[in-house]
Amino acid sequence: MSSEHQDWLSAASDNKPLTKAQLDSLLTDTELQSTLERYHLIGATIRRETSGPLPVDFTAAIMAEIDAEPAYQLKTDRGLLQRVKASVAAAANGRWLQPVAQGAIAAGVALMAVFGVQQYQQQPEDMLSPQPLLQTQPIAGFATPVSLSQTTVSDRFAEQEQQAMLEQQKRLQALLNAHRQQVRVMEQAQQANHKAEANTGPEQNEQQ
Amino acid sequence: MMRFSGVCSAIVLVVFSTLAQAEQAGWALFDKVQSAVKQYNFDTSFVVLKGTNVDTYRWLHGRADGQEIEHLIPLDTSGVDILRRDALVYYLLTDRPAFVTRSHSIPELPALFFEPKENIQRLYNAVAGSSSVMSGRSAQLLRLTAKDASRYNYWLWLDDETGFPLRIDILSEQQNALERWLVTHMQISAEMPENLRSLMEAELPAPGDSVPRSAVASSHQLTWLPQGYTQVEEPANIPQLESSLLSYWLLSDGLHQVSVFVQQAQRLPTQAYRDGATTIYVQNANQLEVTVIGPVSIETARQLAAGVH
Repeated sequence: MSSEHQDWLSAASDNKPLTKAQLDSLLTDTELQSTLERYHLIGATIRRETSGPLPVDFTAAIMAEIDAEPAYQLKTDRGLLQRVKASVAAAANGRWLQPVAQGAIAAGVALMAVFGVQQYQQQPEDMLSPQPLLQTQPIAGFATPVSLSQTTVSDRFAEQEQQAMLEQQKRLQALLNAHRQQVRVMEQAQQANHKAEANTGPEQNEQQ
Repeated sequence: MMRFSGVCSAIVLVVFSTLAQAEQAGWALFDKVQSAVKQYNFDTSFVVLKGTNVDTYRWLHGRADGQEIEHLIPLDTSGVDILRRDALVYYLLTDRPAFVTRSHSIPELPALFFEPKENIQRLYNAVAGSSSVMSGRSAQLLRLTAKDASRYNYWLWLDDETGFPLRIDILSEQQNALERWLVTHMQISAEMPENLRSLMEAELPAPGDSVPRSAVASSHQLTWLPQGYTQVEEPANIPQLESSLLSYWLLSDGLHQVSVFVQQAQRLPTQAYRDGATTIYVQNANQLEVTVIGPVSIETARQLAAGVH
């Protein structure tokens, strides 16, 4: 049994292919592994090779070596901002950023448009403020003319014209006052009429 | 086909009934305003904006023991104090004796508050508008739209809680605001304001005799009247214009008054002026100068002046 093993193991050490069953047994049986290692060592010695074959437990040795290695703390030598800048600069030239940037600009313009329209739509409220078409700054407590028609004022007559205008304003003010007076008195007349018809209480109160 | 016409008539019915309801709601709001200014004890300030011109007034009103008192004080003009006790209005001047008239309202306040609703319903449609916040209070908009397009429209904002008017805009047919009446301060109290109480007791002059009526037969005729207006019969004399006045008419639609003066022609051109919502139109033609003053559009004033023969 053992010689049989040794036969295919010896063959394996001479780079002969293994069957699947043989490989399985080799992987599970540590004794076979050490035997194989020995055969390899013998072969290497015969072939006068300076270095021996790879030992079975080479992974453990490497792990030990890594543990023995001193630990180095890697430090960033640039600030966050610089890194971002660098990455943005790198990205800006990249193929993906350009469409994204264009999209952002378009969104910004759209946002401005929306807010602009909202601002604009608030204006009709302002238009309600009393700025009638024909309103002008009153002079001396009275409205100034708004529809100058027919006449053109030459400089020569400007002063006379102004004088006449003031007179006109005075006359119109008198008429406006007369109109207001009429409105006051008219209400009185109407009330008097109503009272004459109805002969209601309040008048009697006043008469007491 | 039957079904289709049925659906159509149903839609028409629904639309009409909603319109009628909106109209009713509008007039209900209007009632609220009229009763608020007549029933509450209040102390308010308001401004009247006419273009760049601003007039400020304080307006106090009190009602106690069946008696009513109202006081209107101009704050920044050299105007007269106006006091109303029940049906008498006193114009208290500083340098002359008080002028007393009989009226149940102060004509210097918006006539909209005091005119009977029927008069206004003849001329206007009322539609309740949207709510907004005004002077920190919730305000309800009430639009009075003239049935006749030549008449000015009113937009009235009233306080949701009390029904007190907060703002009135008078709008031209192009919906431009010509004049704005705006409450800047309002205090409604259960008791009559203290200074009104003393005015209630104050000794005031008795009303004079009834105003003399003009007996002068006018030598001209007015051949055209704006829609809804009628001539006021026997308008009062205007002593200060007696010498120059050839004819005079006073027109009223129940809410607005328009004066038409006819004088000897001056050499000035035909012109239009505007003082807030009041139009002053002067026409010179045929050796006559016709002046129309009142809250009408310039076009209406022009037609009125053209109707004088």
